[in-house]
Amino acid sequence: MAETPSGAQKIRQVEAIANGTVIDHIPSPMTLKVATLLAGPDDQVFMGMNLRSSLLGRKGVVKISGRELTERSVSSLALIAPTASISIIRDYTVVSKNPVPVPSRFEDIARCANPNCVTNHERWSTRFDVVAGKNPLRVRCFYCERSFDAADLTLI
Amino acid sequence: MDFRSRHVLSIADFTRAEILHILSKTREIETSPRIDMLAGKVMATLFFEPSTRTRLSFEAAMQKLGGRVIGFSDAGSTSTKKGESLADTLRMVEQYADVIVMRHPRDGAARLASEVSRVPIVNGGDGANQHPSQTFLDLYTIAKLFPELTDGSRTLTIAFAGDLRYGRTVHSLLSALCHFRVRLLTVAPRGLEMPQQYLDEAAAAKVEVEVVPSLQDAIDGCDVLYMTRLQEERFPDPLEFDHIKASYRISASMLQAARPQMRILHPLPRVNEIARDVDATTHAHYFAQAGNGIPVRQALIGLILGAL
Ligand SMILES: [Zn+2]
Repeated sequence: MAETPSGAQKIRQVEAIANGTVIDHIPSPMTLKVATLLAGPDDQVFMGMNLRSSLLGRKGVVKISGRELTERSVSSLALIAPTASISIIRDYTVVSKNPVPVPSRFEDIARCANPNCVTNHERWSTRFDVVAGKNPLRVRCFYCERSFDAADLTLI
Repeated sequence: MDFRSRHVLSIADFTRAEILHILSKTREIETSPRIDMLAGKVMATLFFEPSTRTRLSFEAAMQKLGGRVIGFSDAGSTSTKKGESLADTLRMVEQYADVIVMRHPRDGAARLASEVSRVPIVNGGDGANQHPSQTFLDLYTIAKLFPELTDGSRTLTIAFAGDLRYGRTVHSLLSALCHFRVRLLTVAPRGLEMPQQYLDEAAAAKVEVEVVPSLQDAIDGCDVLYMTRLQEERFPDPLEFDHIKASYRISASMLQAARPQMRILHPLPRVNEIARDVDATTHAHYFAQAGNGIPVRQALIGLILGAL
């Protein structure tokens, strides 16, 4: 039995994990940012970049061993990688796979890219409303009313 | 339509019906002012950056209706200098006033203020973002000159000329005009064209926007010419600025082929972009436009204080 099913080959582009979370379909240039964002200091993280994807051309994959994402991490992920999917892995099996939920509003997730925005000068929360999505996701600052590509924002 | 206690922060917060209501209340107050309408009310003017023109217009509007005014006119004289947050300044001032008019150098400051204050905030300009009372006065001016704007009986052609990239007044006016039957012409120096965000907004509202090659084309083809100032600091090369300045200047001789009813508006202060010899022509309307600031601000304050 030398044959390997093509599906299995695809999965092994990045090391398989026994339990944890797989974030797939990340726009390739955002992969490192996603890994840094999601990984805690003790997490084992596996990462693949520039993987071939029929959907995105090139994509990134990040696998975090041993845990699921917090609600806040999911929001941050939605902002910088709205095309991503989140799979939960238990005992090497995908138990769920869903697109990252993109909320209509992001609160205290990112800083405004407008240097003159009041939120960059007063201690105040930030808020962005989605104006168009997902590729690229466009958001508008509730305060200064400027629109941005979500990928250009700095996460808090 | 109830405007009581409502903040006036951004033209984007107002529907077409609300804009029409404000314009009609402005007309009402201009034709029959009630000199004690705001007696016993106090307006605080918090000017974290100076703007004599805007502050005087708000203060005159309030006082002509019997109200009183407190406030400061530059941040140097307040505790902001000592590091007090904007939120804390507002929590103090709201104890003294029924309405707060605020001007601030940061974009979005008025929106933030509205989340703190229990009394209504009127945005008198927040950085490069919004200056809604200016937009209402521009609209009121156009509607008074051309009733077609509000009755929709004819498509009005409105031209924007000058710095269309950084000019906050033209952005807000464009957004507001998207509620009406208009066609827009634009003419701007390279690099200072209308930002895409606003062109998209016009397209979404099915408002046609045409870029015309010269100021003369704009003059000859419009009902209203909205002129703005070119700021020298936007041009890295002083020679280029001199050159462009010369091609963005209206003089009386350029008005020969203009439609008889064409009117020139300008948010003021003008520098060189409108020659003094234009002032005496029937097309000049910028000083009358500034005068409309009083009834517009009276209507806004009257409405949010529940007196109109
Ligand atoms: Zn902002």
